[in-house]
Amino acid sequence: MPDTSRRAFLRVASGATAGMASWVALGRAPAFAQKRELTFFSWNHFVPASDDELRKQAEAFSKLANCTVRVDTVAHLQMPAKLAAEAQSQSGHDMFRSAGADPFLYENQLANIDDVVEKVGKQGGGWYSFAAEMMRTKSGWKGVPWFWVSFPGTYNMAHFKKAGLEHPKTWDELLHHGKLLKKQGNPVGIPISHCSDAHSTYWSVAWSFGAKVIEADGKTPAVNSDKTERVVEWYKELYKDAMEPEVLSWDDAGNNRFILSGKGSWIHNPVSPYNAALANKQPIADDINHHNSPAGPAGAHSAPPILGMSIWKFSKNIELAKEFIQFLFRKENFDAWIVASNAFNHPPLKNLADHPIWARNPKFAMLPKEAEFAHPRGWPAKPSDAVQRIDDNYILADMVAKAVNGMPTRRAMAWAEEQVANALKGQLKVG
Amino acid sequence: MAIGHRALEIAGLPGPGRLARVREWWEQEHVFGYGLIVPALALLTGLVAYPFGMAIYFSLSDYWVGSPGGFVGLHNYREILGNETFRQTVQNSFVFTAIALTLKAVLGVWLALLLARRVRFKRLIRGAVLLPWVIPTALSTLGWWWMFDSLYSVVNWTAIRLGILAAPGPNWLGQSAYAMAAVITVNVWRGLPFFAITTLAGLVSIPREFHEAAEVDGAGPWARFRYVTLPLLKPVLAVVILFSTIFTFSDFNIVYVLTRGGPVNTTHLFATLAYQVGLNGGNLGQGAAISLFLFPLLGAVVFFQLRYIRRE
Repeated sequence: MPDTSRRAFLRVASGATAGMASWVALGRAPAFAQKRELTFFSWNHFVPASDDELRKQAEAFSKLANCTVRVDTVAHLQMPAKLAAEAQSQSGHDMFRSAGADPFLYENQLANIDDVVEKVGKQGGGWYSFAAEMMRTKSGWKGVPWFWVSFPGTYNMAHFKKAGLEHPKTWDELLHHGKLLKKQGNPVGIPISHCSDAHSTYWSVAWSFGAKVIEADGKTPAVNSDKTERVVEWYKELYKDAMEPEVLSWDDAGNNRFILSGKGSWIHNPVSPYNAALANKQPIADDINHHNSPAGPAGAHSAPPILGMSIWKFSKNIELAKEFIQFLFRKENFDAWIVASNAFNHPPLKNLADHPIWARNPKFAMLPKEAEFAHPRGWPAKPSDAVQRIDDNYILADMVAKAVNGMPTRRAMAWAEEQVANALKGQLKVG
Repeated sequence: MAIGHRALEIAGLPGPGRLARVREWWEQEHVFGYGLIVPALALLTGLVAYPFGMAIYFSLSDYWVGSPGGFVGLHNYREILGNETFRQTVQNSFVFTAIALTLKAVLGVWLALLLARRVRFKRLIRGAVLLPWVIPTALSTLGWWWMFDSLYSVVNWTAIRLGILAAPGPNWLGQSAYAMAAVITVNVWRGLPFFAITTLAGLVSIPREFHEAAEVDGAGPWARFRYVTLPLLKPVLAVVILFSTIFTFSDFNIVYVLTRGGPVNTTHLFATLAYQVGLNGGNLGQGAAISLFLFPLLGAVVFFQLRYIRRE
């Protein structure tokens, strides 16, 4: 390297140092960095185009509000730890994508945004109550419901046709069909493992059989019951005669791989496998179709993932964040975002739900109906951090896993009851 | 050593300036020595002692993420002891560590003996052996995870093609015993290079004369290993085993990537359960108690092993 460049480097470096020293001395950022910066912490969306659209809208908002908006995304499994760290250190992003019971877990840490939620809700024809319940705590709205993810049956029409079967309307039919399909070499698949899909399906099946996990008072375990016994027995039979042991090892993408490989005939999952097949131009997309979540003796019930946006109390940009939320909920923006996700993101507002994307594609047409029988986890109890702990500790999936691995059902339920009691005991104190 | 200013005074020379006096003070052995340690000490205090102290404090209080709670004494410890998942985790940790450590020790010494031989491409081979230890664990474990995948397992595919296994082969990550085997395999694969290379260092420091003398006395290869190599290797082995015990007990990445503690918590280790309870569940107090549970035991192991090593 020639000598001059070293000198040049030193000159630049000393200039930079002097410059930084003057910022420090002045105690404020230099003029070009004085623009307000809003930071939003979110997940890597399962349909990446949805994040692209979000960033595009963030860019548009930043021009409108004369600020910069930064959207950081990470894998969904990493979010809880990062949020815990931000709450603990009282620093980090201004707002984040809240999921599960985050609004309850961080009730003390989150800004009340009643004004925005009520305004946006009124404009959009009102919130679905199952979505609203997830964000509204005793001390107010700790987040705005952003979207929910329908959890229908996803099936391979070719396999069903070959077996001479229609898609299952009830869980019992699924058991019946599954046995035939497994013999045909195309088993069905519900994860019984440490992943969040395992919960989504368990809650749905349990409610359909009339079973509960907690009483409505939110304090009493109700998992050890005759109805749960029926649920577990159903799982055992399905596992033995209609599924393969691989369901015990699945992560959230396990069932997606299973149906996309062409081996599986039926899974309980959002529309992401179909969307992925379309995006990658896999011929199997033609064979995949969806139907409403099956029903049971107590009707049809669904436990869709419900996501929101929350703002930290420690944020210095609370007002700006609220403006951003209202911007994202403008009809034209929200519609564009639904289209980008190819019907994966369901609006929690009734007026936004009649978007043509669902009506136009017969494979999506029944998806909005899922909202009619959706509940937050824990129902009939209200959502709480304790309910979240039941999911976080995989209690329900483990109860079923124990039973299908040979533990007597009664004992597995007794084990789960003890675990649920533990989760309820450590209730977070709020106030 | 600088000349003291008293000496200068006596000699009638002008006294030193202020700077020189500071320098003289600084260059005294007891000051300078501690001065050199200060940066390391600051790092240790900030990055080890402080978090450790915080963890102890968390474990003794009803602390939730972002909301401090009161002092509750040993309540968290009693609570986790009563939890079946935790007891399962204790059992898993001991099974995991015992098997993985034994395999690493036996295979590690064996590998070291092989590496000590004069072969072609010695440097290249030694370098290659270190690879599993060098690659970021999260990344290499993802590779293993794919190899153990239920649909696309290359392990099963190969074994079935070779006629060793009947189709569809074991479900590696879905059944307790297999999942434990998978987690142990990856841990051994990863930890082996550390074991082997460190043992190799001990091996090459054994003077050749001892081996030659034993050979003259008529000792065979096994007798030479048993009565010459092993006793002289003991201090090194003791240190490696000590380190490896701690690394193995506190493993997190491998389990988190492969099984997330499943199936039915049969592969949870202290670190993964503490993460699940403390960070995902927000119960920092209990999470800290879980991760600190083994501290007294490991502390005792370290204490006795270090004493033993010093005596050697």
